[in-house]
Amino acid sequence: MAEQRRKPSESSSLSESSASGAVHVDGLTKQYDDVVAVSDLDLHVEPGELLVLLGPSGCGKTTTLRSIAGLEHVTDGTIHFDDEDVTRQAPQRRDVAMVFQSYALYPHKTVRGNLQFPLRKTDISGTEATERVEEIAELLEMETHLDTRPAQLSGGQRQRVAVGRALVRQPHLLCMDEPLSNLDAKLRVETRSELRQLQQRLGITTIYVTHDQEEAMSIADRIAVMNDGRIEQVGTPEDVYERPANEFVASFVGDPPMNFCDPDDVQAAGIETPQSAAGSPDTIGIRPEYIYPTDSRGEPAAGDRVEVDRPSDPVVLTVELIEPVGRAYEIQLTGHGLDLVARLRTRPDDVTEGDSSEFVFDLDRLTTFNDAGEVV
Amino acid sequence: MTVRENVANGFRIVLDGHRRSSLLSRIGFYVATALTLLFSLYPFYVMFITSISTNESLYSRDRGVIPKSFTLEHYEVIFGSGSFPVQTYFWNSLSVALVTSVIALVVSILGAYSFTRLDYPGGTLIRRGIIVVYMLAAITLVIPLFQLLVRFDLVDTKTSLYITYTVKTLPLTLYILWNYFRSIPVEIEEAAFIDGYSRLETIARVIVPVSLPVLVAAFLFSFKIAWNEYLFASVFLQSEALYTLPIGIETLDSAFQNVWGEIMAASIITTLPIIVMFLYLEKYMVEGLTAGAVEG
Amino acid sequence: MRERIERIDPRRREVLLGYLLVLPSLLLIGGVILYPLIYNVYLGFTEVPLNPDQSPVWIGLENYETLVNSDRFWEATYNTVVFTVASALLATALGLAVALLFDRAFRGRRLARGLVLLPHVTPIIAVAFAWQFMLDPLWGNLPDFLAWLGIYESDVGLLQSRDHALQMAILFDVWRNFPFAFLLFIARLQAIPQSMYEAATIDGAGRFAQFKDIILPELKGTILIAILLRFVWEFNAFEPVWLLTRNLETLPIYAYKSAFSTYNQGLGAAIAVMLFLFQLVMVAVYMRFVGEDEL
Repeated sequence: MAEQRRKPSESSSLSESSASGAVHVDGLTKQYDDVVAVSDLDLHVEPGELLVLLGPSGCGKTTTLRSIAGLEHVTDGTIHFDDEDVTRQAPQRRDVAMVFQSYALYPHKTVRGNLQFPLRKTDISGTEATERVEEIAELLEMETHLDTRPAQLSGGQRQRVAVGRALVRQPHLLCMDEPLSNLDAKLRVETRSELRQLQQRLGITTIYVTHDQEEAMSIADRIAVMNDGRIEQVGTPEDVYERPANEFVASFVGDPPMNFCDPDDVQAAGIETPQSAAGSPDTIGIRPEYIYPTDSRGEPAAGDRVEVDRPSDPVVLTVELIEPVGRAYEIQLTGHGLDLVARLRTRPDDVTEGDSSEFVFDLDRLTTFNDAGEVV
Repeated sequence: MTVRENVANGFRIVLDGHRRSSLLSRIGFYVATALTLLFSLYPFYVMFITSISTNESLYSRDRGVIPKSFTLEHYEVIFGSGSFPVQTYFWNSLSVALVTSVIALVVSILGAYSFTRLDYPGGTLIRRGIIVVYMLAAITLVIPLFQLLVRFDLVDTKTSLYITYTVKTLPLTLYILWNYFRSIPVEIEEAAFIDGYSRLETIARVIVPVSLPVLVAAFLFSFKIAWNEYLFASVFLQSEALYTLPIGIETLDSAFQNVWGEIMAASIITTLPIIVMFLYLEKYMVEGLTAGAVEG
Repeated sequence: MRERIERIDPRRREVLLGYLLVLPSLLLIGGVILYPLIYNVYLGFTEVPLNPDQSPVWIGLENYETLVNSDRFWEATYNTVVFTVASALLATALGLAVALLFDRAFRGRRLARGLVLLPHVTPIIAVAFAWQFMLDPLWGNLPDFLAWLGIYESDVGLLQSRDHALQMAILFDVWRNFPFAFLLFIARLQAIPQSMYEAATIDGAGRFAQFKDIILPELKGTILIAILLRFVWEFNAFEPVWLLTRNLETLPIYAYKSAFSTYNQGLGAAIAVMLFLFQLVMVAVYMRFVGEDEL
C-alpha cells in the first residue's frame, strides 16, 4: 500500500510549511472528437506558488486543470511533478487534491467522515489521522460541525469542508476549479483572502482556475491568461496588467477594460502616437484610469494621482455619462471619433453630463498593438 | 362488456374536469372512488374471509357476503398436516427469492455502473438491448430452457430457479439502477479518485451508500418477481420438497376437493409478505419513478 | 500483476473495466435468454424424442404445417387475439379513468393510490384462486351478482364454456393489469402544471374541453405506450388464463400443453417461435413510434 502513491510530506503537523514541488506541463493537447480544447500548452508552476489559470468560458482552463489532476486523458504532451512523469498515471496515484466548483462532498458522510476519507489511502492513521482532521477543522473554523452532514451546511460551510478535504493530506499539488463561484459576492471576497492566506501559510503549490479577473489579480502569484485552448501570457498580476502581451490579455484583465482606439482618431485628437520599430501601430490602447480631467490650469487633476510624467495636450471631449461605480466613477467620453471610458476616484468638479471638457492622457501609459500583439 | 364500458365512460364524463368541487361532483367523486376500491379489493376480502370461515358457512348454498361463523382451522390444517407442508414451500420461496435478489442486485450494480459511467464500444447497444429484452415473455423461453436444463442436469434443482429468476429480473434492476446512477454527479466519484480510491472501491464506498434506497427498491422488485413466479417453477421443479408456494397451492387444489378454506389460507400466506414489502415500495411506484417496473 | 496493469494505457484500462463489469449481466442474459431463443427456433424445426439422451430429429417445416392446418391452432389464435385486444384496451381505459379520478388532492389519496395497485403486485396464484372461488357456480358470489345485474343466467358455469371463460379471463386480466396503466398515467398527469388548468378555466373552458385540450394531448404518447406494452405482454400471457380456468386455450397454453402434457416439444417450440415473432413485430412498432427513452 505504501508504494501506491507519492508519500505525503513527512511533517504531521499542518502548520509547518511542507515541501511542495513543482509542476511542469509540456505540449499538453486535449482533443475531444473534432474539438480541440487545449492546444500545445506549456506551463511551469514553481513550488509553493499560487498560479491562476484565467480566461473566459470555454478557453480550456478547466480542461487543463483536470488533465493535470488526472481526470482527463491527455491526447498529447507530458506532465511532470518535479522529476516524475505522471502523464500516464491515474489520478489515484498522483499526489493531487482538488476542490470542485460544486464541492462534491460525500453526502453520506459527516464532515469528519469527508475529511478522513482521503487519509485512509495514506500512511496516516489512527490518532495521527484524528489529530490532522481536527487541526484542519479548526483551521477552517468547522470544528463545531464535525458530526454534521453536508446537506445541513450552508454553501460557505460546504466550501470550507471541500477545501479541508483537499488540504488534509497535504498534497504535492492543490487544484481548485472556480471554488468561489457559487458563493455570494461578499462571501467570495472574504473567502478568497482566507484561501490565499491559508495557501501561503501551508506553502502548497496551487493551480487555481477562475474566469473572474479581479479574483485572479487579488490572489495570484502568477496568472496564466488563456484563450481558445492556448496560453496568451504568463506573468505576475502586475506584468499582465501593465505589460499585456496582446490585445486579448489587455482587454480581459482590468475592469473597466482598456480602451482601444484607432490611431487615426487618436492623431486627430492631437495626441502624440508612439511609433515603433515595426511601423505605425494598428490599435492604440489606454486604460481608463490614465485619462484625467484638467483643472483650471490645464494640469491633470485626479485627486491623489497627479504624478503624470508626460501628459498629452488637452483634448476636448464630450461627457456622455457619469456613472458612480462602488468607490469610483466611470465616465463615458466621446469626441474626435473616439469612444472612451475614464475612471476617476473622485467626482470631477466642473464636469457635467452633456458638457465638453478638457482631458489629458498619460502618454507613458499608451499601449500600441499591431495586428495581433503588442509593440512598444 | 358494454356495461363495464358504459360505467367507465360514465366515470369519465362525470369527473373530467379538475379542481371544481360542487357538492354533486364531490359526492360523485367519493362514490366513484369507493366503487374503484371495491372493485380492486373485493377479491382480497374474499381471500381473507374464506380463509377464516368455517366449512359449514363456506359450502352452504345461501351464502351472503358475510359468513356466519369463523375459524382458524384452515390455517391449522396447512401448518400441521403433512399433506400440505406450508413451511417447506414458504422456506423454498423465501430462499429462492432472497438468493435471486442478491445475485441480481450485485450483477446489476456492476452492470449498470458500467454502462452509465464507462465509455466503450457497444455501450449504447447494450442499453437498448436491455429494454428490448425486458419485453420478452417467459413462455417463449420455457421450452428451450427446459431442454437446456435437461442437458445440464439441472432439472428439479433450486439452481435452475436461481439462474432463470435472476435473468428474469435483470433487465428491470439494470434499468432502475442505470436510471438512478445517471443522476449521481460525476464529481463525487472524481473526488474519490483524487482521494486515491479505484473505481471498484468507489463503487463500494461511495456509489452504493449514496444509492441505498434505490438499491433496496431494486432488491424488493426482484424479490417480488421471484416470489410470485409460477411458470418456470411448475416446469422445472418436480419433487415436492422443492416446491415454492405457488406450486404448492396448485398442488393442494389438484389433490383435493373443496379445500377452498385451506387454499385461501395458503394464498393469504403467500400474499402477505408482498403486501408488507409493497408498503415500502409504494412510494417508488406511485411517484412514477419506476412506472413500468411493475410487470412480472 | 499490478505493474502489468499499470503499463496498459489508462484509457484502455477503463474500457477493459467497462467490459468486465458488464460481463456477468451479458453472460446471464446471453445464456439464459438469447441462446435459448435461438435454440427455440432450431427446436421448432425438429421433433424431440422422449428419451433425453437422444437428439432432436430434423423435420423441417412439418410442425408449422401441422399448426397451420389444425383447427386447434386457429381456435387458440382466435382466443389469444380476442383476449389480448379486449384486455389491453379495457385495462388501459380503466387505468386512464382511475388515474383521472385520482388526479386531485383528497384525504387518503396516498392510501387509495396504494390500494389500487394491490391487484397488480400480489402473487397471481393467490388472486387467481380467489377469482376461481368467486366465480364458482356452487360456492361463489359473483355468478349471483352478475345475474342480478342482468348479465348472465344465474346457474351458468362462468368458467365452463369457452366463451364465458374467455369473458371471465378478460375480466380477471383487466382487474389485474389496469394498475399498470394507472401508474403510467398518474406519473404523466402529475407532470402537467396546475397553471395550465387555471389558465383554461379563466378562459372559460369547461371540464370536457379541458380534458380534450389539455390532458389528452399530454397523454397521447402514454396511451400508446400502455396499449403497446399490454399487447405484447397479454399476447404471451400464460398464468392469467391457465390459473383461472382449464377451459380456455390460448396460444401460450397450447404451446405449454404441447411441450409438457403431450411431450411434443418441437410443436411447442414452433408455437413459441410464432409468439416470439409477434413480439418482435410489436417491439419494432414500439421502437418506431415511441423510441426507447420514453419508458
